[in-house]
Amino acid sequence: MKKLLYILIISVVAFSCDVFDVEPEASVSDNAAITNAGGLKAAVNGLYDRLQSGYHNGRLFIAGDISTDISQSVGTWDFYREMDTYRVSPDNNENRDLFTAIYQVVNQANNIIAAAPGVADATDAVKNQSLGEAYFARGISFFDAAMYWGGIPGVYGTLGISLPLEPSREAVTLPRASIQETWDQIEADLQQAVSLLPETGAPARITKAAARGMLARMYLYLKEYGQASDFATQVINDTKFKLPDDYTTVFTGKLSSESIFEMQFDNADQSAIRTWYIPTSAGGRGDLAAHDEFYNAIPAEDERKKLYAYDANAKFYYPTKYSKAGNIDNIHVLRLAEMYLIRAEADFLAGKGNPLADVNTIRVRANLAPLVAINSVDDILNERKVEFAFEGQRWYDLVRTGKALTVLASVPRNNSPGAPATLTDAKRQVFPIPSVELNANPNSVQNDAYK
Amino acid sequence: MKRRLLILPLLLVAVLAIGQKEVSGTITSAEDGIPVIGASILVKGTSVGTVTDVDGKYTLSVPGDDAVLVISYTGLKTIEITVGNRTRIDLVMESSVAFLDEVVVTGYGTQGRRVLTSAVSSVKAEDIQNLPSASIDQLVQGRAAGVQISSNSGTPGGGMFVRVRGTTSITASSDPLYVIDGIPVVSTPLESQGTGGQRTNPLADLNPADIESVEVLKDASATAIYGARAANGVVLITTKRGKKSQNARVTLNAYAGAQNFARDPSDQLVNAAEFETLINEARANAGAAPLYPDANSGKYDTDWNSFIYDDAAPIYNADLSISGGSDKVRYFVSGNYFDQDGVLIGTKFTRYTGRLNLDFDASDKIKLGTSILYSRNDRTRIGNDDNISGAMGGAYFLPPNISPYTADGSFTKFSIFENPIAVVNFDDRQMAVNRILANIYGEWEILPYLKFKTSGSVDYNEIKEDNYAPTQLNTGVAVAGSAVSAVTLDDNLIWENILTFQKGLGGEHYLTVLLGQSLQTSRNEFTRASGQGFPSNDFRRITSAAIQTSSSTGTEWGISSLFGRLNYDFAGKYIVTVNVRRDGSSRFGEKNRWGTFPSIGAAWRLSQEPFFPQGSFINELKLRGSYGITGNQSGIDNFASLGLWTGGANYTSSAGTRPLQLANPNLKWEETTQLDFGFDLGLLNERIVLNFDWYNKYTRDLLLDVPLPRTTGFISQTQNFGEIENEGWELTINATPFRKADFTWDISFNVAHNKAIVRKLFAPIEIYNRSPFRLEEGQPVFSFWFHDQIEVDAQTGDIIWRTVNGTSRTEAFVAGRDRFFVGNAQPDLFGGINNSITFKGFDFSMFWQYSLGNEQLNWTRFFLEHGGTRNTNFMRSQLDRWQKPGDITEVPRMASKNYAADLRPSRLVEDGSYIRLKNLTVGYSLPASLTRKMGMQKLRVYLSGQNLITITDYSGLDPELTGTAATVLTQGIEFFTFPQARVMTGGLTLIF
Repeated sequence: MKKLLYILIISVVAFSCDVFDVEPEASVSDNAAITNAGGLKAAVNGLYDRLQSGYHNGRLFIAGDISTDISQSVGTWDFYREMDTYRVSPDNNENRDLFTAIYQVVNQANNIIAAAPGVADATDAVKNQSLGEAYFARGISFFDAAMYWGGIPGVYGTLGISLPLEPSREAVTLPRASIQETWDQIEADLQQAVSLLPETGAPARITKAAARGMLARMYLYLKEYGQASDFATQVINDTKFKLPDDYTTVFTGKLSSESIFEMQFDNADQSAIRTWYIPTSAGGRGDLAAHDEFYNAIPAEDERKKLYAYDANAKFYYPTKYSKAGNIDNIHVLRLAEMYLIRAEADFLAGKGNPLADVNTIRVRANLAPLVAINSVDDILNERKVEFAFEGQRWYDLVRTGKALTVLASVPRNNSPGAPATLTDAKRQVFPIPSVELNANPNSVQNDAYK
Repeated sequence: MKRRLLILPLLLVAVLAIGQKEVSGTITSAEDGIPVIGASILVKGTSVGTVTDVDGKYTLSVPGDDAVLVISYTGLKTIEITVGNRTRIDLVMESSVAFLDEVVVTGYGTQGRRVLTSAVSSVKAEDIQNLPSASIDQLVQGRAAGVQISSNSGTPGGGMFVRVRGTTSITASSDPLYVIDGIPVVSTPLESQGTGGQRTNPLADLNPADIESVEVLKDASATAIYGARAANGVVLITTKRGKKSQNARVTLNAYAGAQNFARDPSDQLVNAAEFETLINEARANAGAAPLYPDANSGKYDTDWNSFIYDDAAPIYNADLSISGGSDKVRYFVSGNYFDQDGVLIGTKFTRYTGRLNLDFDASDKIKLGTSILYSRNDRTRIGNDDNISGAMGGAYFLPPNISPYTADGSFTKFSIFENPIAVVNFDDRQMAVNRILANIYGEWEILPYLKFKTSGSVDYNEIKEDNYAPTQLNTGVAVAGSAVSAVTLDDNLIWENILTFQKGLGGEHYLTVLLGQSLQTSRNEFTRASGQGFPSNDFRRITSAAIQTSSSTGTEWGISSLFGRLNYDFAGKYIVTVNVRRDGSSRFGEKNRWGTFPSIGAAWRLSQEPFFPQGSFINELKLRGSYGITGNQSGIDNFASLGLWTGGANYTSSAGTRPLQLANPNLKWEETTQLDFGFDLGLLNERIVLNFDWYNKYTRDLLLDVPLPRTTGFISQTQNFGEIENEGWELTINATPFRKADFTWDISFNVAHNKAIVRKLFAPIEIYNRSPFRLEEGQPVFSFWFHDQIEVDAQTGDIIWRTVNGTSRTEAFVAGRDRFFVGNAQPDLFGGINNSITFKGFDFSMFWQYSLGNEQLNWTRFFLEHGGTRNTNFMRSQLDRWQKPGDITEVPRMASKNYAADLRPSRLVEDGSYIRLKNLTVGYSLPASLTRKMGMQKLRVYLSGQNLITITDYSGLDPELTGTAATVLTQGIEFFTFPQARVMTGGLTLIF
């Protein structure tokens, strides 16, 4: 019996070793994430991280620009080939990843919006700022999602986007809202942000001016010209911002005086955009390039033309707005020049104010002769085309003004000589809802052109 | 109770002086009259026994005159003899057809094949010795029925695809559990730095020459003793051990050889003149002027592939082992040096191992022992495999009409690709592995029929990787040199306690009961540093970098198990085995932590029944059946059930957090139910032995990363969702057409069929870039999802596609809609056939391995049959393009509509069937009379060729390749993948 006792003892000792006592070492429970001021601060940092990770790292800009007459795919990836030939498939990786990244920002913002008011040891100022940043981030996310996958009421598109407003704790399957509901939510979020955000903040942080700038852009798109002009004016009159004399310094440096909101990138957080545009001889991938026609149309004296270079190997012009070694170029979400051109356009279309002065402010800085008169809105849109080239504005400008089908009727593409790309289907002014969303969300529906 | 051999004391021999009578004698072989060393003598129905010494002699105490001795030895016919009034029994053992007399290692024990209730395939050392492969899994390919093995890549020490009876999982692992000398080992790659799709193989840490046998446990009766980790089969690897009372035996094996590729990659591509002609034609078809007006200038015609391969890459191996034993101590000590250069320049694998296997009888009742492996290996790697920036990517993509070097002597760069010459010569990726696989055990014979064994094991892996991308490479020049240094420590501790009861219950009843318990903890530590901006390429350590970053993390998991087995044998006719295992894993939440995995197996040996005609054509007939449930938890994250936020979401150097995953407190084991029916049949005096099994494996509650709506902010969640069914059959035939003293001929053949079909899935899952694969309910795993090209219109040269309603002759083809399942990478039949012949001193073996009915995707063609939509090189297949009305071809007119980026033409999915002469060996052993004079037992010299002939219609480099080893859900896709080498070796074996 003694022998069996020994065995029993060994077995009991062995069995009482707790192999289940393990804890994650690089993560915390979701219930414990935002429970104190430190956690709230970290979650807000995480919000910026989400904004810059797969969304405002260049992906948003490229998807739009490549679909227009300023940029094109000269490489081998089919996701960009599909975009620059208007054949985007619901399986398109970049379309999918942009969609995913945008909704990750929304979920992060929703977590902050839900938890921040209950954080006991945070001051009201901190809570308000955190909430303001979250509302801004959600608003801009819904704005870009609406532009890509939804539409603008009365302009293009038939259905809005899904609008999650609560933190995800389970697999919620939201239907798509109407276009009007979508823009109402964008407006509400940005207005909330204006009221909650502080006037000043640390560099590369969201402030009241950023929310005003986004509202100016939103009202312009919605053709509410008075509101657009008012919000643009508020930012223009904000003494914190001023246009640097030299356009190129906005891009060669960082956080220039005209920067309203800029995503900051550094060695630890690298932006992707440079890699795509810079040729291999300069250490990039060289998959994307500027259009020859676009480059050639820029007058030689235009200062903005300095931000292009020629790749003698591949025989393309490419933008050098993003060319910092180590991929540390910032992404310019909102800058002062846009406020001048928003006000110019809004005032011109509303027939009031002094749009010519605003346009010429931008032209003169670029070393161009001032215009004598604005003959049509195209004068302003053409100014925007050069001023904001490779900053994701061109596609928005074409679809919001209803000019996409005419301007993009025959766009030469170097990857298919003799076979220019043509946007013929008005329904392709919205991108497809990614197939991964539709497969997992039975309540969502595909856009008409991709059914 | 005929030939009852439950535990053959090969390793552990307990000599118990409880008998009243001593018997002794000599055992000799009928074939050559020389003593049989190490034959087992066992008193039937007990564990009392001994083995013969170096002179074939034995002495054994037996209970009395009624005692029956069972004498067995691998390769010889087992003898049963009643002692009677004799005290000296000399016996002559005859050669056996062997197969049914073999002893099979099973989970926590051994069994004779005749009384096995389960489906187990065995590969013995002699079948695989001296073959030029780095790892044991490669050697088992084609030799075990139902075990599908492919070389994903020809990289030295590279990963293999191994499936035992198919694929049971999607997100979790479908790899078998590997158990080496009782230790469940780490078999998933531990490297942290990718080179593309290429993975390393932890089994290459082992020295194949140390291996005595490999058993693959396939059905639930065999595997359920490993319960929760057994759903994908269990591979038991047993290493060699010393034998009792045996003089030291020194074995030296050495071989050396050279490797090249069976197919020359240069032959896959067009030359400069053809390239320029094709580009001009594409432009002409689009109405553009020719890019190369003088298309045959012949200024440059660069064969990029010729710069990156070594046509005679060396391979060397040397093994030295000493084994033997005294009365109390048995030992096996070995050392190995293996060195293989890849055919792709810049790749290399070097291994050094040392092994000590020791068994020591501390007393009559107590035995102690160890099995210790130390392995050190070094890999030199380069970017390649599923990597367009790798060596082969560059060699394929770069057009032939440019010079490899620029005017100033630097490497020519083209588009996004690396210059392949720069990759093979300057890409610097080193990986060093130190591994200790050690076990220490104590065994106590409490009673002659009751044993207790406790054993502690460690599997310690240290992986150090140092990569440097110099400025000759795009990745390096962009940041003035880039380095990563990473250390991975993976530490596994296992403690097992096993109690075995084994007794004849009187009459013909025989019972074995095993109770056991096992604990395992596993900890992984990872530390990484990286640097960019080096003063020059002479500085490669991160301390010299301008920008330095680092991080570290760790994770762990544990599993606790209780298990039991009951084996009841009546008269060697009716055998029943019942297994139960209960496992708890830290990976699951409290609620569903524990799972119970039972199985039952039964066998009926009809040939032992009185009514079975004696001396008939059929000597042995056994029917088997088993049913059981096994589980799987490997391959999922250690904390997959928890709702978590992670750090690292930083902004402007301020620490940030973000959601990582949603909670799933209900997460539990993936369960596989398996039913197996089989028979073993011995014909013509067992000159022909057949084993057949049919099985159905049904896996429920798959551990699946279920896609979540992206609007939730999450991509997926690990859930128990989905079902996969595997059904198949296996047939093994072993035959001995001739067996004479100086001429033997053995044939071993196996064939198997398995189809893994997805039975339930939340939504279709698209796999890999551009989704060439798709998982969908009702479809086989590894199905290709393509645009179905019906033909190329002979009049227009454009592709006619199938559409959901027919062909596009009547309806417009929509790329986003009209995709179909056009094939599958799973073979209909696979297996191998081996012929081995000995004639006097000569030996000859020829081993063919095959896979039939599988489709293989030549994904390289997708990029290089681009019709002029890219500026990169063309495959030769592009030359078959449609040129003028009336042309009948599958390659369409060079126009962008036929080669648009969103098209996945089905012509790229090819028939991947192949049959391959995997090995041909001719050897000669000097006559024993001569070697003895030289003081040796044996001297053999041999020549061997590996992968000599491959018969296939597949157009790529190798029909066996899978370019994307990084993901388990792709099979049969070649994508700039380094193919297997053809190897010619010569070697010798010396035994002293």
